[in-house]
Amino acid sequence: MKKYEAVIILNPNLSSKVDTFIKDFEKLLKDNTFVVKKMEDIGRRQLSYSINNHNKGHYLIFNIEGNATNLIDIENKIKYNESIIRHLFISVKEHEGEDSQLLIDSRNKKSEHEDEDKKVKNDVEVKSNEQDEKKVITEEESTEDNSSEPKEEESKDE
Amino acid sequence: MSKYDLPKKFDYKNVNLLKQFITETGKIIPARVTGVSASNQRKLTRHIKIARFLGLMPYTDMHK
Repeated sequence: MKKYEAVIILNPNLSSKVDTFIKDFEKLLKDNTFVVKKMEDIGRRQLSYSINNHNKGHYLIFNIEGNATNLIDIENKIKYNESIIRHLFISVKEHEGEDSQLLIDSRNKKSEHEDEDKKVKNDVEVKSNEQDEKKVITEEESTEDNSSEPKEEESKDE
Repeated sequence: MSKYDLPKKFDYKNVNLLKQFITETGKIIPARVTGVSASNQRKLTRHIKIARFLGLMPYTDMHK
């Protein structure tokens, strides 16, 4: 039994199907005597250079343990999976129990984005309120106009 | 003495740490410049190369 770290970069266009891929991959690992100790879904990340014309990739990291001979079978099957744009198995002495730095970074980025989104939303709400006020004003003006018009007409009739 | 806070274990996932040891053009900076010990420099190089393969770090600044 050896310990491995598997990094898999998925096609970013298939991000919505990640859950099914993870299930399939875990099943493949189980069929080949591998045990998944930990799984990290890092999500979409900017690639430093384009791989197969993709500028983003969906990163998955698996901490796995199993027989080295079976790893070859797994790799042979992964090779022809077109949804994977790059993969790497690294043997490690010990698995790190903690979350990887990549996952922490992606979480921090997400929280920043959420904060920004909230700010933007607040701004939009404020603006929409202002617009409502403006609308009210214009409506009032228009009603005044309406009231004044018929009077003129009456005068014309006389 | 090194001026960097180096962890006991290097990791290709810790991109922000590894980025201190490459130039703007993406080259690995030699240990004689950074003052990293020979043993640490070997580990550092290994993990920078893994990170490059996984698209976490650039090979050069000429990538399109």
